[in-house]
Amino acid sequence: MANTNLPRRIIKETQRLLSEPAPGISASPSEDNMRYFNVMILGPTQSPFEGGVFKLELFLPEEYPMAAPKLGRICLDILKDKWSPALQIRTVLLSIQALLSAPNPDDPLSDNIAKHWKTNEAEAVETAKEWTRLYASGA
Amino acid sequence: MGQSSSRSRRRDDYRQTYPQHAPLPPPPPVQPPLTPPYNPSSRPNFSTPYYNPPPAPAAPYYYAYQPQPSSSYNGLMRFFESWVNNSFPSYYRPNQGNGWLNSAAPSPPAAMPPYTSFSAASSSSMVVAPPPYVEHQKAKTIKNDVNLHKDMIRLEADVLNPEEYLVSFVYDAVVDGSVTIYYFAKEGANCSFSSIEEDIYKPRSYPFEKGTARKFCQPSGHGIDLGFFDLESLSKPANGEVFPLVIYAKACGPTLMDGQSVQSAATHLQITLAVIEKNNTGAFEVKVVKQILWFDGERYELQEIFGLANSSEPIDDADDDIGKECVICLTETRNTAVFPCRHLCMCSDCAKSLRLQSNKCPICRQPVEKLMEINVNLTSSDK
Repeated sequence: MANTNLPRRIIKETQRLLSEPAPGISASPSEDNMRYFNVMILGPTQSPFEGGVFKLELFLPEEYPMAAPKLGRICLDILKDKWSPALQIRTVLLSIQALLSAPNPDDPLSDNIAKHWKTNEAEAVETAKEWTRLYASGA
Repeated sequence: MGQSSSRSRRRDDYRQTYPQHAPLPPPPPVQPPLTPPYNPSSRPNFSTPYYNPPPAPAAPYYYAYQPQPSSSYNGLMRFFESWVNNSFPSYYRPNQGNGWLNSAAPSPPAAMPPYTSFSAASSSSMVVAPPPYVEHQKAKTIKNDVNLHKDMIRLEADVLNPEEYLVSFVYDAVVDGSVTIYYFAKEGANCSFSSIEEDIYKPRSYPFEKGTARKFCQPSGHGIDLGFFDLESLSKPANGEVFPLVIYAKACGPTLMDGQSVQSAATHLQITLAVIEKNNTGAFEVKVVKQILWFDGERYELQEIFGLANSSEPIDDADDDIGKECVICLTETRNTAVFPCRHLCMCSDCAKSLRLQSNKCPICRQPVEKLMEINVNLTSSDK
């Protein structure tokens, strides 16, 4: 039912995401709800997250694209006050991929990890690599 | 001796006419270096959030200048776009037919559903005042009989008079006309121009022939010795109104043109106001500051629109229509430009719904002051 009256914008974005996926990113809509996407982002090379597969759920609210997609707890300004309807699912996911390449400990989800990152980055990177191996190695 | 003293006097004159710049503020106090808790060399930009929004494009420089008041300039913002061959500058008048702006006050954006625990930034963004009134205007198309390509204006050394430079440019014109070259000229009433340095360089007029992408070059011997002026005075408009180089192109229609007479109301002008800079190879370069159109007794300023070039073809059903489509619905042809940033990025319906939710340009996030609908396709059919 939720798929009736799906705006053409969402249909077009979905088609393009499927036909021309961005490198290292896949996003496919749920069959039940075309506003709900299962997303996988590969950890960028040269980052502590390399080799990891990071799964996300993305939901397009009714107001989309006037309001940002919902993505859970990710500290990214374009998902909040810097959202613009010219942005798309693809650009949001590319931004998240970039965030993996350049984490921002000044706007952290976890204060402890940010503190660790700022006081001993080398050690924090090792932890990130270890956790990527343990918890994000695909399958 | 006489020449060199007049030269130095002239420089002084120019200096006096420059706006006085306020002295720079004192440099900020030097912070004592913080002891880095981590190796700073490994992450030199560590504290800079990587996701700063891209800088908004620099405000176009011609916005820095107030349009010259003229008898016909009535304060409406005028908008133009030149169009090769069948140029069509256009402008919008407010409140023409599309009265949606006068409807009830826009409702505030719907409250954001879940995820309220995001951060302070997200909660502050929910307190949104209704967007201010934004004019939504429709473009009118007018024909521009002569158009100088503003990136194709050159100063070429005169082979026979190596000290002197000749103006050349590429233009399109649908009728014959004449062009007058001024140095250090100032706008008067009804788009007339006069040089404040006539004793040094007397403005000269030349006929041009109609055609597209034609090249004009001043004849040898008619050039100017730019070395006579200091670079400072060439590189900016004195008092914001005396332009170092003015190219005044007049479309005369089939019958011309014996010098002074025949100045009817149907005169169509395009006037290019420019400064002259030296590039790093030492060559002089012309930089256009603004272009003015005079059309049926009205004065317009020419402004480029970002995104127009890609929108003139109708959208087909193929997937290669990115670049012409509205950035919001990804479906309709974009036909509405945002001002003052001049991003043509939306269809009129999406512009309307954006207007109810935000006052920011989708492309650059600058506040929207005005929306203009420009239907390029209409003009391609009336060729």
